[in-house]
Amino acid sequence: MRAWRWICVSVAVAALVAGGISCSRRGDAPARTSVCFAFQDLETEFWVAGHKAITETLKSKGIEVLERNANQDANRQLEQVRAAIARGVNGIIIIPQDGESAVTIVGEANKAGVPIGVFNRPPANKSNAAIVVVADNERISELAVSYMAEQARRLGRKATPLILVGDLGDNNAVARRKGFMNVIEKNPDLFNAVIEVPTKWDAVTAQANLEAAMQSNPGVDFIFTSSDQMYPQIRAVLEPLGKWKKIGDPGHVILGGVDGDARAARWMKEGYVDATGVQDLFYEADALLTELLRAIEAGEKTPNKWIEDPGFALTQANMAERAMDMWGYKLFAEQGPAAAR
Amino acid sequence: MGRRFVRRGLLSENFVLYLSIVFFAILYLFMPYIASGRNLANLSSNLWPLLALVLGQMFVLILGGIDLSQTSIMALTSVVGGMLMTTQLDPTLFEKSPLWGILLSPQGSPISGTALAVPLGILAMLAAGMFVGLLNGLAVAKGRMPAFMVTLVSMMFFSGLAIYLTKSENIMYLPGGFTMLGAGEIGPVPYSFFVVLVLAAVAQVVLKHTVLGRWFFAVGKSIRTSVVSGVPTERVVILGYVFSGFCAAVASILYSARLACGRPTLGQNLLLDVIGAAVIGGISLFGGKGKVLWAFFGALFFVLLSNALSMLALPFYAEPVVKGAVILLAALLDVTRTRLLAREIVA
Repeated sequence: MRAWRWICVSVAVAALVAGGISCSRRGDAPARTSVCFAFQDLETEFWVAGHKAITETLKSKGIEVLERNANQDANRQLEQVRAAIARGVNGIIIIPQDGESAVTIVGEANKAGVPIGVFNRPPANKSNAAIVVVADNERISELAVSYMAEQARRLGRKATPLILVGDLGDNNAVARRKGFMNVIEKNPDLFNAVIEVPTKWDAVTAQANLEAAMQSNPGVDFIFTSSDQMYPQIRAVLEPLGKWKKIGDPGHVILGGVDGDARAARWMKEGYVDATGVQDLFYEADALLTELLRAIEAGEKTPNKWIEDPGFALTQANMAERAMDMWGYKLFAEQGPAAAR
Repeated sequence: MGRRFVRRGLLSENFVLYLSIVFFAILYLFMPYIASGRNLANLSSNLWPLLALVLGQMFVLILGGIDLSQTSIMALTSVVGGMLMTTQLDPTLFEKSPLWGILLSPQGSPISGTALAVPLGILAMLAAGMFVGLLNGLAVAKGRMPAFMVTLVSMMFFSGLAIYLTKSENIMYLPGGFTMLGAGEIGPVPYSFFVVLVLAAVAQVVLKHTVLGRWFFAVGKSIRTSVVSGVPTERVVILGYVFSGFCAAVASILYSARLACGRPTLGQNLLLDVIGAAVIGGISLFGGKGKVLWAFFGALFFVLLSNALSMLALPFYAEPVVKGAVILLAALLDVTRTRLLAREIVA
């Protein structure tokens, strides 16, 4: 019995550690074109809409989609991507947990010679080759905050600005903060010192930290959120303080954000939000898929291309002309308030 | 004949190993690529760091305790090692760290880039892991506090500390000498295998061939009897937690090297995998029962299950459901097996 046990254990260990000796480096590729779509929790409307756009487009082209959710665990995402490579997928799309893990995961795909695309959350550096689609977050934020600054100028006094900062391990959060800061620094006559509230892209953290910040700085009258997903938390904090007011009402807090989701659409339409920076989600999804599928078709193993979505800012001034260019506004128009809870 | 064979398999100590082999064989019929060289290499690379954690957890479980802080030890040690070894830090991200200007600068730490960076970084990681284990052990053994509460609190505290030290930023630009521990291979065999092999050998020798090992089981079975018998129970308990912390630090080294960065959130979703693998392997939550081989079987089953689920074209929301169902099935089989064993003993 003991001998039998040790034989089994030895076989299992030997198979695992020596797997690479006898077998090929690629698994048996499935006959149908297949793409692994590995993402983290779809925690915001932007990611949900992006996920839907990507999976539906791939499926409509007859491509098998291997969807993997890593639940905000970079290590698990690495394991999932490695498993997908072993399965022989033809391409990979990732929404990484952060820019740092993206570098490692893209490196794995490069080593295996599988083309990889990174959707909207770019790697922390360009040391590995990938098709990266990313919004020009700095510019988009700057556009939205510039409009907000114009509104602040009308106050006739200095405004107290507050920014809800995303996860600074994510380049998107860094760029959005930078865009915000650029405008603040350009207008020292308009603003008091900036209050920075960390959110880690997490609604609960955002609400708790914003509540604390508003308690210690009751004079805040200018709030910029690095993601539109935080509007319900902003409202939950401002409403009891009597500061959730429409534009033009006394005590209105100048509000703006980035993403362009259905919540922002609703509250811009209802007159609570002044401006929002818009990422063109459908353009981004389409550009990534077009480039990745082209690389697969052409047999390119390590395509390297950064595609930038210039984006724009939807403001109360240009809403009549540009509202329907915002993906969240389209969802809001199609689905009504249900899309903007 | 067939029934006797199944019964023998169910009653065997190696039941989880047989289960893993049968599971693998069934998967192979539907997904032959699961046995491809690349995938076996993946399985291997996923298995060894998890096994390091399960080995540490096993020592604590044998004592009748539990170590919920293993994942926070991973996070803390990952950050400690990362800060000491990194060669580049972005001031925009790190200037708010409490260590900025004291230990950290845009060039990393004072030892960054020197030949000492990797060995000292690794030693610091191991020392930090053992230190947290020591605190846990002291609180449980000397303070007579419940292990669950002690390690739950230290999980919260040290996770928070890791985030505070880095202001939640990941630390990149670790030296190649360190990252190769996670990605390097000797022939087809990853370095992590050798690291964990040494750990497993030490654990096996201690548990099987030393008086200390017998004390571990004695304390886990009955701490009162152990005290009466002259077993230095406090020292044994403290050692168990220190070893658990050490193993968590080893796992942290392997995972951090594999991801090529120090992460303050490293392993935050791993705890259930660790305890699940230990229990499925047959290590008792009530103490006094555990073997290195069982830890291996449990970790192997868990890694195989995760790998298989990553390869199946299931809808993403179905994956946790299937994983839960398979674990439940394995637990049910284990209960059936225990009942059969009890009946056999009575008979």
